[in-house]
Order: sequence, then C-alpha cells, then structure tokens
Amino acid sequence: MLQRYRFEIGCVVALLACFLITQVELNRFYYFAGFAILQYVLISTAWNILGGYGGYINFGTAGFLGLGTYVAIAMIQWYGAGIIEQIIVAGALAGLLGLGIGYITLRLKGVYFAIATLAIAIVLETFVNNWDYVGGAAGVSILPPRTPELLGITIVDRKGGGIFYNNKEWLFFLMGALAIASVWIARTIEFGKLGRGLNAIKDNEEAAECMGVPTLKLKLIATVISGALMGVAGAVFPSYLTFVDPPTAFNLEFAVNSLAMPMIGGTFTWIGPVVGSILLGTVQQVAIVTISSEINLLIIGLLLVIFVTIAPHGIVGWFMKKNK
Amino acid sequence: MSRILKFRVSTMLLGVLFAAAFMLTTAFSPSAQAKPIKVGFSMALTGALAGGGKQALEAMKIWRDDINSKGGMIGRQVELVYYDDQTNPKNVPGIYAKLLDVDKVDFIVSGYGTNLIAPAMPVAIDRDVVFMGLFGMNNNKKWKYDKYFQILPAGPDPAVGFSYNWFEALKTFKPKTIALLSADAEFARNLKEGAVKNAKAMGLKIVYNENYPPKTADFTPIVRAVNAKKPDVFYIASYPNGSAGLVRALAEVGTEAKAVGGGMVGLQFSGLMAGLGPNLNGILNYDFYVPEPTMALYPGATELIAKYQNKVKTEGLKTDALGYYLVPWAYAYLDVLGQAVNAVGKIDHEAIAKYIHATEFTSVVGKIKFTELGEWSETRTIVVQYQNIKNNDLQQFARPGTRKIMYPLDIKTGTPQTYNSLR
Repeated sequence: MLQRYRFEIGCVVALLACFLITQVELNRFYYFAGFAILQYVLISTAWNILGGYGGYINFGTAGFLGLGTYVAIAMIQWYGAGIIEQIIVAGALAGLLGLGIGYITLRLKGVYFAIATLAIAIVLETFVNNWDYVGGAAGVSILPPRTPELLGITIVDRKGGGIFYNNKEWLFFLMGALAIASVWIARTIEFGKLGRGLNAIKDNEEAAECMGVPTLKLKLIATVISGALMGVAGAVFPSYLTFVDPPTAFNLEFAVNSLAMPMIGGTFTWIGPVVGSILLGTVQQVAIVTISSEINLLIIGLLLVIFVTIAPHGIVGWFMKKNK
Repeated sequence: MSRILKFRVSTMLLGVLFAAAFMLTTAFSPSAQAKPIKVGFSMALTGALAGGGKQALEAMKIWRDDINSKGGMIGRQVELVYYDDQTNPKNVPGIYAKLLDVDKVDFIVSGYGTNLIAPAMPVAIDRDVVFMGLFGMNNNKKWKYDKYFQILPAGPDPAVGFSYNWFEALKTFKPKTIALLSADAEFARNLKEGAVKNAKAMGLKIVYNENYPPKTADFTPIVRAVNAKKPDVFYIASYPNGSAGLVRALAEVGTEAKAVGGGMVGLQFSGLMAGLGPNLNGILNYDFYVPEPTMALYPGATELIAKYQNKVKTEGLKTDALGYYLVPWAYAYLDVLGQAVNAVGKIDHEAIAKYIHATEFTSVVGKIKFTELGEWSETRTIVVQYQNIKNNDLQQFARPGTRKIMYPLDIKTGTPQTYNSLR
C-alpha cells in the first residue's frame, strides 16, 4: 500500500519540510534564494510538459510568466485581490492564452514553432508597456498587506499571531506548495494517456496521427497546462518582488533557464526538471552573491554545452544509463 | 650582589609594567575593539546601466578611503560590501536580504537608478533602516518612508523639477510650439510627463507628443515626423542608445527647431561624447556637473574628479574616463550618511534619519537639504549647450567651453543659441 503511494507521500513530506523550514527562522536571504529556486522548479516543470514530453520547444515562457504577473498586478490595482485569487485567475488566463496561441502555432514545427512562441513575449511586453493602469513602461510598486488573511485565518503577523512571522516565509511556503503541485501534475501526465500520446508525437508525429493519436488535441491540452502553470509562477512574482516593470517580467532569462534546466536535468521524466532547476538555480543564486555575473552566465552556458554534448539525456538519463 | 639583584628585579618589574600597559592600551584602543562599519549595496556592474554603475562604485571606494583616512565613522573603519545586480531588478531583493542577514551590514545604500532602487525599498522599510538612494526619481512617492533620502538634484517634484530649468533657459527663443518625444521606458516617460506640465505652464502649444520603443535603431523617420509639425522647440527624454541615435538622426536630417534636447541621458558619458563629437553642437541638454569655471561652487568636486580620473588612469580601470556625471553624486550620498552617523555618534537609524531630515549638509555637490519624502528641497539640474566641439577627442570635454552653462543664471557661462546657428 505504502509502496503504491510512495510519490504522494514524498510530496506531503516535501510540503511539510517547506513548512518546517519557515518555522525555524533562518536568515531571510535563504527564503529569497529558496523562493527563486522553487519558482524555477515550477517553471521548468511546466515547460517540460510540452517541451520535454511533446518535443515542442517553447521560447514563450517569459510571455506566459509575464501575463501571470500582470494579471496579478491588474487584480491588485483593481480591488486589492488576495494572492490565492491572483494565482487562480492568472493561471486560468495564461491557460487560455496557451489554448489560443497553441491553436494558431501548434501547426508549426521545429524552429518555426520556437520563433512563434518567442513572439508572444514581445507582443505582450509591448502591450504592457503601453498599459498605464498596470504601471506601463514605468513599472509598478506593490504594497503587500501586512497581515494577509485566508478564509479568516491570519497568514502573516509579525507579532506572532499568524502562521508565518514574515511575508517572505509565507511566499516561500506558497511557492514550495505550487512547485510540488506542478511536479505532481507533470508525473500524472507522464504516466497517463496524455504523456504516452505526447511521447508518440515527440517520436514521430505523422506515425502517431496515423495510429489514431489525436495529436492537435493532446498538444493543445499540454500547452494549456504548461501555460497555466507558468502563469501561476508569474502571479506570485509581484508579491515577492514588490516592484515589477516589463523588462523584468518578460525577461528572456526565464525562457533560457526554463529550457536549460530540464535539458540539464533530463527532459524525458518529471524528476529531470526538478534536478536541473535545483542544481542550476542554486548555482545561480550562489553566483549572484559570490562571483561576477559575467562568470555566472558563463557557468550556465558551459553547463548547457557540457550536458548537451556529454549527457544529452541530462543528469537523470546519465545516472539511469550508468545503473543499467 | 644585592644591588645587582635589586636592579634586575626593578628592570623585570618595569618590563612587566610596560607589557601590561601596552596590552591594556591595545585592548581598550578603539581600533582593536571596534569592528569595521559595513555599508552594503547592489550595483549595476554588468547590464544596461553598467557604465554608470562602475563609475559610481569607484567614487564610493574613494569616499571609503577618504573617510577611513579621517578616522572612519564614529571611530570605526568603513568597509563596502557590494554585489552586481546585473541591472536586473529581480536580483535586488535577494541581494539586500543577503547583505542584511548574512553579511550583517550596518547600513544599506541603493544601486544606481530608479528601477534598481524600487525593489530594495520594501526590504529597507521592512527592516526600518536608513536607505540612501542614488539617482532615483519618485521612488518614495508611494511608500512615504521616513528614512529614505536620494541624491538626484531634481527638487521636491522630480519629474517637473528635472526639466524646469530647461524651459527657463529657452525663454530667450520666445517659443510658441513644442514637440515632445520620449523612450517608452520608466525614467524617460516620467521626464516627459514633467516636461508636458512645464510646457503647459509656459503656454506652449504641443504639436507632437509620442514615445518610441527603447530598442529603436533608426530615428530618421521620427525626426522627419517631428519636423513635419514645425515645432519651435523639441524636447527629448531618452536613454543612452536612443540619445546617440537621435543626435545622429538630427545631424543627418536636420531640424528647424530652435532648441533640441532636454532630458537626453547618456550624452554626459565620456564614450558617447567622444563618439558623437561635433554632432553634439547645438544640443541643449540637462547635466549635473561640467568643467566650467563657475562650477567651483561645489567644494571639493574638482579635486574629487581629478582623483577619480587619476585612479582610472593609474589602475587601468575600464570605466568612464572623465566621471563628471556620476562621481560627485555617488560620493555625496555616502558622504551625507557618513556625516549623519558621525554627528549622531551611534548606529541608531531612527536618530540618523531625524538628523538627515533636520540638517542642511555640505558635500562635494554643494548644499543639500531633503524634503519629507527624501527628495532634494530644490532643483539643481543645470542646462548646458554643446558648443565648439571640433573633433572626437575626449580631452576637449575635460576643458571649459564645450558644455557651456545656460541656466541657472547665477552660474551661467554662455547664452543659448539656436540649434542651427551652432551647426
């Protein structure tokens, strides 16, 4: 019985660990760094659903993430929405964007699809640059509530009356929960009909179509789920950063990292993006505060080149091959 | 025998006394007791604002050496702890959390520019510490934080104050119409909004008011579109790449506008000045410090810039060779902090903030008084006109006469001339 639910138990243990970490009052820097790494777990897992399982390289991560960010900002500006509402609406709208974009672009393949997705981020950034309600090109500062509540329960209270002492601890836990949920979704897809269909598309789309796999439908579902998860990752961003401008929200760095992390970890299984984002995310966080940023970028580039040439199936693939 | 013994005992006793005295004085001397005071910040050392960030960092190092040579802050040596924010606001909150929690810095000051100050503001507010800003525009408008102070000399309403003197300077042309153009980005749009207010206050008719995408490469169609409206004056708020592109487009297409410029960022940088050379002639633009004789009203600025230029040369630094634009200001925002801490005599952020609010400081950028929101109480932007630029030699910009001061009137070294008369 326990063996059967091993993964689910692992998820609960990971969630509990995230919660316990917030209760031990670490240096707040570790919550910042941890948040950034967990956000990349969520983003790269989301990317891998279409890119890893389906073989469709999506360069539009920044577009979906930026949309989630700006939906959250618009909701805050409109009526001071709570963070859970922001996440739900941002995820839904980013999923809808995925559906629309997917319907238009998923008939394209290879480099044409990649270029089409890259354009999403540019189009959305230009739109936001000219939308003054959410700060426009000037960016916007967000004042997070000092004592946020959820279903009548005080979440954060610096005087000790809430579940968390500090907003950063709460956001760390929230991002941890979202990352775990995304990994659960990715694993469910991988071992389900959708995952098998996407794998067939990745191997040979024409053959899959001939065998009765509804390729467009599966690709659309994957794009919607992937886009929605990226939107969710973006929705938490304004509360974390408290200042957002279009170049930050639509930064190409997200597209590069969301692609590099699964590549390094391994794109064919759910654990690959998790391993890749923890490894690369940690290296990036350490590099920012220890060595020059140029070397930081060099490390990412070198790691990507090394893994693509020496271990094309990533760290997980390399270990599996070694253990055979 | 006993005399020899006595002598030996006395000598030993004296030696022990000297040793004890030495140990006591060493143990209680301030230098042995006191750990250095750490000042932490993020700085744009790579990315779009690295040109300014590197320049600022060197000025801050000069300040550190200066204050340490005078005994430091409250008798303790000063140490700078900094990280590269890569001109990316996303990196800023994490850097400041590390500075405060891991590096345990005593004070934080900002990196360079509005967008990199903004994400650090909540961290400073959360910890309730004094936060000095370097060239921020309206960063505290929303927060109204009582311990924030910034060094951009644009007055209590920075967006309006920044261009106020430019409009005063061009009154000599008696303009009736104006065209306004800005980069579609935060700082530039703020500048243009302020310029619109000043233009309306002056009764000018706005015949063109547009933004251009920051990545625009060819500005000739924009200049032609502006020319079609035949404005008397042309206000531009642009970032370095756009400024260079617009100067070149204006040189190529030409314009009948009597005054051109205003808020063109980057034309003050050595690299752009040398690169654009004679194309700059006639541009009427903002600045903060130029090597004109009347700028001697800033005590110590000339010496500071000479020290910076020497540092760049001797250490072979790859940063702005002249340093007029940012060096005095990056030095001054730390100097204000240092003066305040020494006056208060202890690390008490509440008391230091109160002292800064209540005091008029004198630093290398002259007299500084802050408003309630931490902005300058009066605008101190100067308006300069590029004149007499013969070639692309950088050293000509280090001499008086190439950027003459048109406004304020008490330090003016020239009279505004029409753009075309200087071409």
